Amino acid sequence: MGHEEELEAYRSQLLESLNSRPEIRSWSDPIQVYVNERRVGELESAGIGAMLQVQCVDHIETVQLRAEDGTLLGGLTAPECGYRTDRVRLSADTVELSVHNLAQGGTLSALFTPAPSFWSRAWKSIADVTDRVVARRPEPALAYGMRTVAFTQALLAIAVVGLVADRITTGRTSDRTPSPVVQTATLSPAPAVDMAKFEQQLGELARMQAKVDDALGSQQKGVVQLQQALVKLSSTQESFESNVLTVREEIEKRLETVGRETDRQTRQMASRGRVEQEQLEAAIQNLTADNHRLAKEVVSLEEYNQVLKTKLQTAVASASKAVDPSPERLLKMADSLQATQQQMPFLFWVTFSDGTSQESIDKWVYEMQGHKGAVSEGWQEVRIVPPAVPPDRFLEQIRGEKIVKAARIGQ
Amino acid sequence: MALTRMHNTLSKSHVMADRMVTVNRLEEVVSTSDEFDQVVSQALPMLLDRATGYTKRFLRETGQWNDDIEHEKFALRWGSEYLERFLVCGRSEVPCRPLFLFDSLVAKQHSKPEPFCYHPDLLRPLGRFLDGLVARAVVSRDALIALYHHSYGWGAGDVIAVTGLNGLESQRIYKNFRRWRESGWQRTMDEVGLTKAELAELGHQQQRQRQRFNSEAERLIRVAQAHYRKSEPDHYPCLSRSQWGDMFAQGYGCDYRIWHLALCLDCMQTAWGLGSSGSLTGEKPRLELQVRP
Repeated sequence: MGHEEELEAYRSQLLESLNSRPEIRSWSDPIQVYVNERRVGELESAGIGAMLQVQCVDHIETVQLRAEDGTLLGGLTAPECGYRTDRVRLSADTVELSVHNLAQGGTLSALFTPAPSFWSRAWKSIADVTDRVVARRPEPALAYGMRTVAFTQALLAIAVVGLVADRITTGRTSDRTPSPVVQTATLSPAPAVDMAKFEQQLGELARMQAKVDDALGSQQKGVVQLQQALVKLSSTQESFESNVLTVREEIEKRLETVGRETDRQTRQMASRGRVEQEQLEAAIQNLTADNHRLAKEVVSLEEYNQVLKTKLQTAVASASKAVDPSPERLLKMADSLQATQQQMPFLFWVTFSDGTSQESIDKWVYEMQGHKGAVSEGWQEVRIVPPAVPPDRFLEQIRGEKIVKAARIGQ
Repeated sequence: MALTRMHNTLSKSHVMADRMVTVNRLEEVVSTSDEFDQVVSQALPMLLDRATGYTKRFLRETGQWNDDIEHEKFALRWGSEYLERFLVCGRSEVPCRPLFLFDSLVAKQHSKPEPFCYHPDLLRPLGRFLDGLVARAVVSRDALIALYHHSYGWGAGDVIAVTGLNGLESQRIYKNFRRWRESGWQRTMDEVGLTKAELAELGHQQQRQRQRFNSEAERLIRVAQAHYRKSEPDHYPCLSRSQWGDMFAQGYGCDYRIWHLALCLDCMQTAWGLGSSGSLTGEKPRLELQVRP
């Protein structure tokens, strides 16, 4: 056989096996239950009801029922969230499957209901009828009386049937006898009367039987209707309960979500407000400090201005006193003015790198031939002899020092 | 000649038209389970081809495909498996459009990690035999119990002794064996596409080179068992000898023993002798593959 033929034969075989799915008969062996293609348990199905409940951490996607030989008997696929129910018929038996999937996982409930046997059906009907009668007349004495009447009727019916059978047998036997004359002669009038009585009783019994049958029929119909109504009611109730549950869960979920969201937003806003407030306070502090420093600078500048004015007046007075302002004298005056200016201390502020010891700072100031002044907010005031280089360049040099973190002129 | 060609063309176009009608019907909404059964049962060949095609594409895209009959059979087998599940579970999805439902079912299967047990050596007759047996054991208790026979050559009594079962469970083991012999084995061989000739060849190999045959079988069955044991319940992991000992001594975990020991060569070695109250004191069991039931 070539490959093509072999493949085609295999395909046909698979199709045939799918087509001829095994006829499901009443199951006596346990039914294997699979959830998401994993075996989770079995339903004992030997003529009695059985139930299996399974709780899974994951969602239940599929449920499969299999026979012991692996035959797939039924199953369902469940939605990601919510309920799914299905009734799998295995001949006259049924398995009710019910899956409920939630965010936390799923639950499966499988209920095996065997088909009622003939005797159990008959017994159930009788029990139903009796229950109805007893329910109407609840006194035990009356119920006992009813049973006695029923028993007597049954006994009577058996007796009548026996007699009739006997008569018929006798009749047949007499049919075979050759002489009708003899037969007529042998028949006494008493059995004929008995026969009439029996016939009458038989007729009455038949009528009563018919009435009982009618009553039974109507009661069975009533029971069936009642059962249907109950089934409808229970299914309506189930669906109602499931809807209520779903709505409640939905509401709880939403409330939870909304509450969580509001809390989160409030917390965010509060923390943002707190941060902004802190930032604002820091800015106000900085502004106050800057303002304070500016005021001090203004005061020191005014003082310096005053000194300069005094010097200018002195210089003007010296100039006016001069008789012959020769160039040499003017040069001398300029030199003396420069010297005066050079004698004015140069003031700057400096901060030091973290961990710098006081000893190192003092040494550094000493090497600069300077003097330490006030300390304000971590800035150390230093006064030195005015440097030879311009102030900006001097500051650059200072900033290059190892122990200096920052330097500036003015507070 | 021309007439034959025309006839062929006509017949092909007729098939194409039929297929189109079937596809259109499957794309329409079905409202009841009976309608579902009716529509789907008329389209089985088309659905089987469709599922097979998807499986081939999956194998190609995952670099597991070769153009040979073994791979074709593998794709057909899994196509048929998906279709069987669809036939049973799809009924609960009505109202639905069967074709779309079928496509989504196959796609869902293929989106799972390791949707099937693929190994090139498992596509050869011996591998297919073992893969078929172990795969069937996951869904059929008959096959599971029969796995003890196929792996170690044991009968029902041995299985009962090894797994330490009680009287009620024992009856069930005999039934499992009987059903497997009657129909289960043949059905499994049909499902994996093993022909009579291939089975006969396996029998010959077993006779001629028993040791080599068994060691090769042990290597392959370990691959298959490792894959399919994931289908056990989550709470059935491998145990130590003392844990197995507790279970046997106290008489619980009947299902655990049956399922796990059949699907784990190592645990069978570990738990050897615990179930028989000391009567099985011989050498630990080695794989002795049996082809026939």
